This record gives sequence, structure tokens and C-alpha cells, in this order.
Amino acid sequence: MTLAALVGLAIGWELLGRLDVSLFVPPLSRVAATWWQLLGDGTLARAAASSLASLAKGFVPAAALGVAVGLAMGRFAVVRHLLDGWVNALMSAPLSALVPVLIALFGVRDTVVAATVFMFSFFVVVVNTQTGVRATDRSLVDMARAFGAGEVALFGRIYLPAALPAVMLGLRLGAVQAVKGMVVGEMLISLVGLGERLIYYGNTFLITELYAVILSVLALALLIAQAAQAADRALVRWK
Amino acid sequence: MAAAERHVPATPPAPVAIAVESVSKAFGAVQALVDVDVRVRAGEFLSLIGPSGCGKTTLLKIVAGLVPADRGRVSVGERIVWGPGPECSVVFQDFALLPWGTVQRNVEFGLLLRGVEAGERAERARRAIAKVGLAGFEAAYPAQLSGGMQQRVGLARALAVSPRVLLMDEPFASIDEQTRRVFQDDLLRLWSEERKTVVLVTHSMEEAIYLSDRVVVLSPRPGRVHQVLDVPLPRPREAGDVRGTAEFARLVDGLWKILRKLQ
Repeated sequence: MTLAALVGLAIGWELLGRLDVSLFVPPLSRVAATWWQLLGDGTLARAAASSLASLAKGFVPAAALGVAVGLAMGRFAVVRHLLDGWVNALMSAPLSALVPVLIALFGVRDTVVAATVFMFSFFVVVVNTQTGVRATDRSLVDMARAFGAGEVALFGRIYLPAALPAVMLGLRLGAVQAVKGMVVGEMLISLVGLGERLIYYGNTFLITELYAVILSVLALALLIAQAAQAADRALVRWK
Repeated sequence: MAAAERHVPATPPAPVAIAVESVSKAFGAVQALVDVDVRVRAGEFLSLIGPSGCGKTTLLKIVAGLVPADRGRVSVGERIVWGPGPECSVVFQDFALLPWGTVQRNVEFGLLLRGVEAGERAERARRAIAKVGLAGFEAAYPAQLSGGMQQRVGLARALAVSPRVLLMDEPFASIDEQTRRVFQDDLLRLWSEERKTVVLVTHSMEEAIYLSDRVVVLSPRPGRVHQVLDVPLPRPREAGDVRGTAEFARLVDGLWKILRKLQ
């Protein structure tokens, strides 16, 4: 079904491009040829390598810290009351508005892209983890305590596995957010990686190249979402 | 209570396994239990029954060490209860099985938390699983089992740690009638083999009479001990047709007359 829709879209695009309606709609076949060429001369690889490095540098800490903060907020009311307001405010704030602050903090280097990735993905991981912990079945906790479980055992053996489906959902959503943060960071602040290519080709009206990069970014986002889903399925087999 | 004990006949009474002395408990402004005194003898099967909200589950959780009493004292064997202890196992109304673990892992869970090493853990769990009649289901997940089978897993997990005291919180409440009767007989058989002290919370009068040596009736909130009923039905009950006897009907009816006045 999804495949049929994609094929239909591709054919429609190709036909529209062949009709030569606009400079901004080159035929898909030409975009594909350009993509192949950009791949061949190393342009895409260089840009993607820089982008992926920023993505990893931002998302890995966001995921690790997000799960830790989410667990603490889910388990301890004090931590929750302390951080709830901040998390909610920063989660619903338009994060692009924070870009000037990030520039001030990190300068205009690739570090700032990693920081943007972090900001975009951190909160959704925190909120989902917290929700998962708080939804833990009360009687599982009683059961473990009745067998003598202390705080550490409760965390590792009850709260964490019980929250795992929600944590994995948070990581999936976070990964998608991270890609958004990466593109925003690269386009609005630092001009590196795939984002820099998007700006460059856009400004110089190299529309075919622009589409080739856009499709690459989409493919990257899709790939990451798929990987996250596969990890989810592998870890949460019992659902 | 004290007066009644002085009239105990010449045979020495079984040692007290659980002593609940003047226990009171409030949740915020709601008084759940007031001055509750219960003594459970070693090897005895005792039921707690009473109207909804009389605090019978709270009392069980206090004995289990899961909920602290506000006043009074609870001891299990020689130990004063401050928290969960090694001589008690709890069976929960909603089974409380780890949905992410197999039957084997679930039954091993209590042993794992008590630091039993892997080989012995697996062996003891396998034996407990066989004891409750679930041999062959070790690799199944709880979601693949019926309610009755899930509770058998809960019972196996409780038995695997070899407790002296089994605390059961409405264990048959979410199980259908036919399954429940078979399960009750299996429980009686296990109990007569292992001679554990059992405290069972139930809202079923038939269940209380059928299983217990004594039934403690709690009054509605705030819960107090209203009356303690002896059940002189002969054992073993699981083999014959105890439910069909006039004596059984008379005891259930007597319990109903007490409870009806408490509503």
C-alpha cells in the first residue's frame, strides 16, 4: 500500500517534470541522476558525514540524559515538582527561538548543531520516560517489595522494564525530532553538513541538486525512524 | 480474646505464627483499622472477611510489611514487622506477574530478589511450577495464559521462596467459578502437604468456610474484629463433598447472618 502510493507519487512527479510546468519541478529522473552524481563526487557523503556526526553528538546525550531525568521525575515527586514546569515550557516553546541563545553559548561551529539536536530531542524522551514510569502497575511494585526489593532493584527490575515501551516510543519520537533539529541547526546557524547544501543550492537556484539533497534528508529521517522501530521491536517482544 | 485463650483445653495450643496487637491505621482522615487484635496459629488456615472497605486488604498488607501500622504491633514468628520479611509470601488479587517475563522468570523472581544463585533458582522454580500443575508452561508469557493459570504462576512464585506464611489477597476474585473450585481444592492439597500458615482475604463466604480453620469477621470502616468464627468441618475437605453437607450450609448461613447485620 505504502509502496503503491510512493510509486504513484514518483510517476506523477516525473510526468509533471516532463511537462516543464516550472523551473521548480524538475523531472524525478533528472533529480535521481543528479543525486547519483552528488553521491559519486563525494559531496553527499561529506555533507552527510558532518550531519550524522552532529546528530550522534546531540542525540546520544539527549537520549541517555533524557531517560535518566525521566526516570527520576517519574519516581520522585520532588524531582517532578522541581522540573515539571521547565520541561513543559521548553517542550512547547518554539525551539528555533532559542537559536540566538545557543549561538551565544556554543558559537557558530558544529557544536551548536549538536546542541540544537539535543534541544529538539531531549524533552520528548524525558516526558515519555516519565509517563512510562508513572504508569507502572502498583501491584508489581508491592510484589517486588514483598520479596525484599530495595530501591535499586525496584528501578532495575520493575520501573525500567515497565517503562521500556514508553521509553522506546520516546526515543523513536526523539530520533525524528533530532533530525529536525539537525537540519534547523545546519540551516539557521552553522551552515555545515546537509543543511548547508540545502541553503547553498536553494540560493543558487540549483533546483535539481536541491531536490537531491532534500530526498537524501528524507531518506535519512526514514532510515533512522526504521532503525528505532526495529530496536523497539527487538527490546519489547512481550507486547 | 485473652479470656477465650485461657479456656483452651489441655492439648497445648500450636505456637502463634502471626500476632497482630492493637493495630490501627488511618489513610489521611479515613480511619481504616482500629485496635485490631488477631492471632494466627502456626499451620492454621485463617480467613479475613468483611464488608467492602473494612480494611481487610490493608490488614494483610500490614502483616506483609508493605504498609506500616500507625499504632500497635505485628509480629511474624519471632520477628517484629517493620517491613517485608523472608518468612512471608504474598499472592495478589491481580496476580502481579511481570508481563515481560516467562512463567519460569516470574516464578524465579522472588528467589532472584532474595539472592538465590541462578542454578538453584531455576531448579526451585521448576519444582514450584510443577507443584501448581503448570509443568510444560515454563516458556509461556502471562498474556498467553488464562486468569486461573496466571494465578497459579502467582502461587508458584510465592511457594518457590519456601515461606512459612502465605498471605493471599482475594486470590480467586478474578477467576471464574469452575476454575476457582478446582484451584481451591489444589490449594487445600498443597496446604495439607506443606503445612504453611495461610491468611486469606476474601469476600466469598463459601470460600471462607470451605478453606478455613477460623474466619475473622471485620466490621465496616473503621475495621475492627467483630467476631471470630470456628469452622469445625472435618479435613481433608478437598476429597469429599463438603459443600453438599448440611453442616457446610449451616456454617455459611451463620456467617451470612453475621455479615448481613454489618452491612
